[in-house]
Amino acid sequence: MDGVLVGKRLIGTQAPVTVGWENIPRVEGGPVKQFIFTWFQPTMLFALIAFWYYAPNSIAKTSTAIGIGIGFRVLLLALEWVNPRYESWRLTWKELVTDLFYVGLGFTLLGMAEYYIGSDAAIEAIQHNFDWDKLAWFTGLPLLVQAFLISFIFDFGQYWMHRGMHNWYPLWLPHSVHHYITQLNINKGAVGNPVELFLIGLGIGGFFDFLPRAVLLAGAISLGIGTYQHINVRFNSPRWWRFLFYTTEHHSLHHSQDYEATRSNYSNNYIFIDRMFGTCIDGEAELLGMEGGRRMSIGEQMTYPFTEGWKTIKERFGRPVAVPAE
Amino acid sequence: MELLRPHSLGLPFRHAQADAAQGDIEKARCKGDRAGLRFIGWIWHISGGLPLAPEQSSDEAMDKLIPLFRQPGTSYERTGDTLTFRKKDPAAQDKMSVFDDGILRIEKAVTGPVLRYHLTSRILLLCFLAPLLFLSFAGLAIVTGKIEKAPTEETKKKKDKVLPQHPIDKFLGAPAPEKPKKDGKDKSEDDDGKPSPTPGYVFAGIFASLYFVGRILESRLIKALFKKKLLES
Repeated sequence: MDGVLVGKRLIGTQAPVTVGWENIPRVEGGPVKQFIFTWFQPTMLFALIAFWYYAPNSIAKTSTAIGIGIGFRVLLLALEWVNPRYESWRLTWKELVTDLFYVGLGFTLLGMAEYYIGSDAAIEAIQHNFDWDKLAWFTGLPLLVQAFLISFIFDFGQYWMHRGMHNWYPLWLPHSVHHYITQLNINKGAVGNPVELFLIGLGIGGFFDFLPRAVLLAGAISLGIGTYQHINVRFNSPRWWRFLFYTTEHHSLHHSQDYEATRSNYSNNYIFIDRMFGTCIDGEAELLGMEGGRRMSIGEQMTYPFTEGWKTIKERFGRPVAVPAE
Repeated sequence: MELLRPHSLGLPFRHAQADAAQGDIEKARCKGDRAGLRFIGWIWHISGGLPLAPEQSSDEAMDKLIPLFRQPGTSYERTGDTLTFRKKDPAAQDKMSVFDDGILRIEKAVTGPVLRYHLTSRILLLCFLAPLLFLSFAGLAIVTGKIEKAPTEETKKKKDKVLPQHPIDKFLGAPAPEKPKKDGKDKSEDDDGKPSPTPGYVFAGIFASLYFVGRILESRLIKALFKKKLLES
């Protein structure tokens, strides 16, 4: 394969990828379908923001946010059924079970780990020992500015954590498991080794004081943008949307079987962070995964970073095998 | 494509292989396996039968089914009227990806030839056991919640602070931040971020439902798939 030159990099020499928005297929169908799949994303984002901006205090709670998040994902599952991006990414019963297993881990075991030993616990301990009240002026900012700052600070941290995972072997080991997924579906973002899922959940947003409503608004912004990372739906995202926000196209390229393509599009919500640091590639891919698209079982996903890490340590530090002289 | 010898398959139900000219010891082992798994085997085993068209020979039927096993990560062996297969890391879109191994055999019944199949699925077993795992996580949340210490006075004071509202938000009509209640109970249990057993219970329920859906759905889908393949001209 010849590949396409993007900046100084040749993309798509190992597996087929599509580069450039002009080459990406559009939604097929009548004007109503075209309209729905062009304006669905912006409409939902603005609806979510409006809801959390004006919701009475009695319902502006985390439990409401969780309920809306679940409902939104069920709606997106229905959209996957109606308008799939690729038939080869169709959700099967086995894929659904696997994905929900990881979603369940996130809500239970990993949630507990983040609370007791993750960033939540660390930030509380640091705040307890130092006077961080100087950052309390954040609560005086307009709500939407606070919400944007929360999501931007978190996404900026995620960008560097994710980029680090692709460039430093000890971090790549746990993250590599997520790159063995061979198709994108709405809950695929949760699939990965628990060590990586714990690391990716770390953030520094908790250092700053924000209004509780601003935190809920930031969550709604992430839901209205970041959820489309892993989804099997074809959208005609407006030009301004795909310039500012992360899309399924960007993430499919990041999951491509082409090594060079995977080293791009690291952010979660704001693709302009990738544009700022020169790691953005606009395009998409259908063939995803590692080792030619080998699907990893849950058992291997749990142990792979440790078995691979052990192999590497043995290769590097193990006793060299004596080679008989001829 | 790698071809596996039948004895290396490690299938829990060996009777079909035993019938395919295995020895007496194999037959005895087969009977033992069946006795032990009679009551729980249905959890992850799917069996069934499909009558063949009267004019269809067993060779023709097998020839039509063979393409189903020409998939990445699948190894199979055909011995006469019996086909055994095994899958390792099958592709997500492999129509038989739910199954890890199995046996298909053409038998002669009174009414005519019949395709009998016996398939095993680890994902069905895992899905069946998943509710127990999530119930244990719920139990863990209860235990850790009990041993966690009460919030300090400092934390309580911080929560009692009156929060400001920016004039722009006031002008646009956003509700003012909630004032702390006099009794200090200004936060509900679900909003303090403390691990709760509820998600564990919810996911236990989800996986119990998924199991029953999957056990029925996959059984029907595989039967429909074999039927479709056998009827293809």
